[in-house]
Amino acid sequence: MDFTFSDDQRVFCDNVKQFLHSEVTPERLRSGWDSASGRDDTLWQQMVDLGLPAMLVPEAFGGLGMNELDFVLLAQECGRVALAEPLVETALVATPLLACQAERDTRCASLLEKIATGERRVAVGHAVNPTVSDAHVADYLLLPNGNEFHLVERERVKLIPMQSVDPSRRLFKVEWRPEEETRLVNGAPGVAALAATLNRGALGAAAQLIGLAEAMVEMTVQYTTDRTQFGRAIGSNQALKHHMANCAVKTEFAKPALYRAAYTVSQRPVHADFAVSHAKVAAGEAALLAAKNCIQSHGAMGYTWECNLHIWMKRAWALDKFWGHSGFHKNRLHQWLMNPNAKIGADKTFGEQG
Amino acid sequence: MKLTFSAADEAFREEIAGWLQRNLCGEFEAIRFRGGPGDEHMFHEQRHAWEQKMAEGGWTCIGWPKSVGGRGCSIEQQVIFHEEYARAGGPGRVGHIGEGLAGPTIIAFGSEAQKQKYLPGIVSGKELWCQGYSEPGAGSDLANVKTKARFDSARQQWVISGQKVWTSLAHEADYCFVIARTDPDSTAHKGLGFFLVKMDQPGVEVRPIQQITGTCEFNEVFFDDAVCAADDMVGAPGDGWKVAMGLLGFERGVSTLGQQMQFQNEFNDILRIAQQNGAAQDPVLRQRIAKAHTELKIMRYNAMRMLSGQAGSDGALQREALIYKLYWATWHRELGELAMDVLGPESQILEGAPYQLSRLQAMYLFVRSDTIYGGTNQIQRNIIAERGLGMPKEPKPTTAGTQ
Repeated sequence: MDFTFSDDQRVFCDNVKQFLHSEVTPERLRSGWDSASGRDDTLWQQMVDLGLPAMLVPEAFGGLGMNELDFVLLAQECGRVALAEPLVETALVATPLLACQAERDTRCASLLEKIATGERRVAVGHAVNPTVSDAHVADYLLLPNGNEFHLVERERVKLIPMQSVDPSRRLFKVEWRPEEETRLVNGAPGVAALAATLNRGALGAAAQLIGLAEAMVEMTVQYTTDRTQFGRAIGSNQALKHHMANCAVKTEFAKPALYRAAYTVSQRPVHADFAVSHAKVAAGEAALLAAKNCIQSHGAMGYTWECNLHIWMKRAWALDKFWGHSGFHKNRLHQWLMNPNAKIGADKTFGEQG
Repeated sequence: MKLTFSAADEAFREEIAGWLQRNLCGEFEAIRFRGGPGDEHMFHEQRHAWEQKMAEGGWTCIGWPKSVGGRGCSIEQQVIFHEEYARAGGPGRVGHIGEGLAGPTIIAFGSEAQKQKYLPGIVSGKELWCQGYSEPGAGSDLANVKTKARFDSARQQWVISGQKVWTSLAHEADYCFVIARTDPDSTAHKGLGFFLVKMDQPGVEVRPIQQITGTCEFNEVFFDDAVCAADDMVGAPGDGWKVAMGLLGFERGVSTLGQQMQFQNEFNDILRIAQQNGAAQDPVLRQRIAKAHTELKIMRYNAMRMLSGQAGSDGALQREALIYKLYWATWHRELGELAMDVLGPESQILEGAPYQLSRLQAMYLFVRSDTIYGGTNQIQRNIIAERGLGMPKEPKPTTAGTQ
């Protein structure tokens, strides 16, 4: 029993964290709101050069051959800087889905190699999401159709842009027709692929939500230390301290659920539903509370477009509802608990719970 | 206690309902249910025209005494008016700061000349007002205002310099009521004056502030030697704090009745969506919907209780009135969260570009300001604890009122 990350995992994360902090600034995020694609090819190439989109691509296809647990801390950092590029969706959701099919489908193998080199990009759809994010910069789309996943070239679909509450996000409804030749997987393997994709999507969203929550608290601690009223820093008031402390409690207690979910997804993916839903609910609650308390602690300033806080608040709003909203995941928890064979005894904190 | 309306009140209800049915149509059809929280930047011209239409029918300032151009309506009649106005989908009132705040303050504290000069413009729906209270360094610590008013005795006028912030509707307003320091050596709530300042003059500059909704409803207002006639100060130099606090009493009084009816409309929207999209079948959401409804009713009952017991015309409030702002603001913020959870994944899709929020999305963002403006939740809790319950005051800072 050991909840700590390895030195390698932490060092890798620290390096990426430094890179993200220097490259992904609020000014750069805001400039993306007004650009046509909202995406930054230079930044993407930098991430490719660091090997980030290929982290979970098997080494045989030119990737780093790492797993979900290796990536979860990075996903947290993506949330912390409110990264707009689809790194989490690519590395944690799309490439593992392709990797699963790569041995019997040469299209997947070749695509994985090209994702690793930055020549190709892929976006992923799922029935729980009303839209596909970043489909406009993808060369291929992974799209669900009943129990099947299809791999479809972007030229063969019609993208209808939808405006997101988060100005950084780019969402699309996709009109397309499933063909025999686009089908990647069906039947029982298709069901499994859809389920695993949902879990990895929700895991990635949960990790980003934790990073978002911590970033909002950090900037609010700074603001309430600098801002004075009644002749003293407003952060010296108990009411505001307690606001921040409540956020810290929610976030810190969501983290072990997140790490447990990442572990389960990487080690026992077919038993991960419970752990992933737990993480997504806990992380969503932490991020939404942070958004609420941080705006409140900023006062009217936190209600302005000029203050950077709303960049994070709106990402939290969007990700809380993406890859299954809290009601969806609470219902999954409920179904799992009510199963007569649910392994919820005193000796069942860890291990197989499906 | 009497929880029914009299026959005369019911006749009044028919009168206002009939008037709205005959008048809130045609050119005004487009603004029904518009201009509420989060939507207050929309249809300004049409809503200003509507305000004047209301005035023609005698439906502005209905709670004011007849002697100053009001309708002299009882509390019960004002309750009925707001119920019917909301039911008919009456648009957000552009004159609410004048009718609810500036007017009652002038009636309570103003001179005869001020009443004659300013009240008719409010009653007619022609002249709009804004509130010059907060400053960059004076938010929760409102008494820390730095804006200065210097008396020019040669011209018999006040000369005002400073900056106000979060000034709703300043870009549309004809007048602003401003608290400013008349005694430059004073601190905190002493040495303030309360001024009625014309907006259309060289010394006043309005700069919009973009909100998280993407729209601009409030502003920064810069006073750079703006002038205000000696006769346009309410009360005497040094009375500013007393007048300003009286006004805040009005802010928490009758003017909240219409707001609750707006809440009811929002609640009804959410309930309808929940029934349509299946969220109403979700046991958690069902309970939250029921909870929101019971709390809305409690809020309404308590408002009636508060208004039945309201003492005097100086805006002073009894203890139960202290709890009101905290309760409604917190309730409304939760309603926004409920709305987004009822909408589910669809809540993240806007109606269109650029950043066109649906009414409920706009509400979800707008409610973030409810727990901040007019005294944050934290300030409200201090007021309840210290003034309502008599708990010990927070220790005074060592350097009072300075930064």
